[in-house]
Amino acid sequence: MTAAANSPALRLEGVGKKYGSLQALNGLNLEVPRGSIFGLVGQNGAGKTTTFAIACGFLKPDCGAVHLLGDGPFNAKRHRGRITALPQDAALGRDLTLEDQLTYLGRLQGVTHAKIRGEVDRILQLVDLTDRARHRTKTLSHGMLRRLGIGQAFLGDPELVLLDEPTNGLDPRQAHEIRQFIAGQRGRRAIVVSSHNLHELETICDHVALIDHGRLMKSGTISEVTGRNEEIQIVLAAGPCPLDPIRAALPTDTIEWDESTQTLKIRFVVQPGREAEDIIAIALRVLLDNHARVSSVARGQSLERTYLDMPSGHAPPVLPSTN
Amino acid sequence: MFGPTPLRDIFLVAGFELREMTRSRRAFLFATLYFLVAAIGSFAFIDVLTRVQPLTAPPPFFRQRRAPADLGPRTPANPPAPAIPAAPADTSTPAQSRLFQRGSPFRDLLNSSVTDKTAVDFFLSMPPITLFHMLISLTILPFVIMLTSSESIAQEHQLRGIRFVALRTGRGEFVLGKVLGQAVTVALLTLLAGGICMAIASYKLQDFEFFPTLSALLLFWPRLFSYCAAFLGLAALCSMNSSSTVASRTFSIVGVIFLWAVHHDALLYLGTLDATSAQAKAWRFLDFFSPYAHQNDLWYPETSVYGVAMASLALLAVLYVGIGLFFYRRRDL
Repeated sequence: MTAAANSPALRLEGVGKKYGSLQALNGLNLEVPRGSIFGLVGQNGAGKTTTFAIACGFLKPDCGAVHLLGDGPFNAKRHRGRITALPQDAALGRDLTLEDQLTYLGRLQGVTHAKIRGEVDRILQLVDLTDRARHRTKTLSHGMLRRLGIGQAFLGDPELVLLDEPTNGLDPRQAHEIRQFIAGQRGRRAIVVSSHNLHELETICDHVALIDHGRLMKSGTISEVTGRNEEIQIVLAAGPCPLDPIRAALPTDTIEWDESTQTLKIRFVVQPGREAEDIIAIALRVLLDNHARVSSVARGQSLERTYLDMPSGHAPPVLPSTN
Repeated sequence: MFGPTPLRDIFLVAGFELREMTRSRRAFLFATLYFLVAAIGSFAFIDVLTRVQPLTAPPPFFRQRRAPADLGPRTPANPPAPAIPAAPADTSTPAQSRLFQRGSPFRDLLNSSVTDKTAVDFFLSMPPITLFHMLISLTILPFVIMLTSSESIAQEHQLRGIRFVALRTGRGEFVLGKVLGQAVTVALLTLLAGGICMAIASYKLQDFEFFPTLSALLLFWPRLFSYCAAFLGLAALCSMNSSSTVASRTFSIVGVIFLWAVHHDALLYLGTLDATSAQAKAWRFLDFFSPYAHQNDLWYPETSVYGVAMASLALLAVLYVGIGLFFYRRRDL
């Protein structure tokens, strides 16, 4: 295996980009492991789309370095067919059919003449647009255009796919199907997904990065970022919480009881032979023995809670996780 | 700038551009503008031709011709032979356009506007409708090209469709493919316009000379195309460095007017300057970069004249596209 094959799918080092006086990216560091489904989270204007555009070579960074598949910044000669994207707000030509568009993009990408027909059919089937194959793109609805955009990103066999808000504008069923498809790509290619739907990202991603004002605030696996291996939250039905027995059963962990939300928070440190599941088992046994009524159990915070708790704007950046 | 298989990509982009052109309003707009002006012009020209013809056509005449025996002094034994009609100047009935062509107003017009005797003779050997078609085409095509072709790449920027393509091929291939697609469109449409011109002429003119007209149109077509190529290059330059179709169209039209003004001023100043002066040389150098500077030479019969003009126009096309690409490589998409 070469060094390039072992390198991350995407690595940004101190990337900066200014639009006039607006600092869109401010020394952004990011590392997307190969084969991962990577979520990019941030408020509007945080720099997600600029990050995508720089990774794809659409925009030139003012400073910093971009490494795609261990092979430097985007170069058509080196990266053609290996990187694809669903750019935000980009529209395919309106006057040709879906078949024509996909054939054109596929052929440019390097799909051979002999294989292109089958490849186009596969993509149309994937995004459920087979019956529209011979319609002009201008006749498609917003959701259909979005699906076509997603479809073109999976033409051929790319190693890195960048999807900017892929499920935006899709109906719930279509969004679900697209999420399922993306999740199914885990291990086959790296996919970077930007979305405001944090629940969606939590469902499909294994890695996530939170950016704000063009800087990385937090990055790592979903478990690391949401504290899945650091915290358990148990919500109880109305009634007292047997705190003392729990503290006695888990003497090394930090126990907090929030009466207003009836939530018991247990912060712990994972050790060999003592994982989150073991802590949950001990806590539930004690609670049930003490006749407490358990409403729900959750590991860590939701991604949404993590995002909302993130200090905005001025906190120092955190380097990406190395795992 | 170029991907692994540049030629293949250029042809793919060109093929797609052609398909898109034929299905979008761009080709339609081009064809409508050009054909309309060419057709109306042809109609008007033929109308003028048919009105002027009776004034210019040589009247039927009889020339007194004497038989071989009708020689020697007139005596009662040798009376004058009866007059016989002379053969027409041509072997067949002259076509209206030929009559017009040979008429003095047309010859006078050519003599007054063209100083080169060889060129005048060359023009007089051509069916006038072809000269008129060439003149109309050279006049309007720069503007038609600017109005339509300048949209091609700029539209990709405006809709950001370029972002789907830019990951799959180099910017060089993309631009060259687009220009090639445009060039093929212009080539086909100029040929078609020639056909329309012929159709109108054959419908309106009695004794329309099909083959001389066709061969004259085909003789001029490469010259016309080389002229168009320079403007296609200019349109590409403007298109690839604009973010919207409106901006691109505006830059293109302003560019054409600017180049026309450069040539016009060059002519003006060169008439007043010493040909060997530095100023005159500077104007001549500047003038070279305007396609209008080479237009006149396209009319000449000598290969050494029109060939150089065609080569210069092709060079300008390459230069304009090259300058555009130089900046395009560096711009954000």
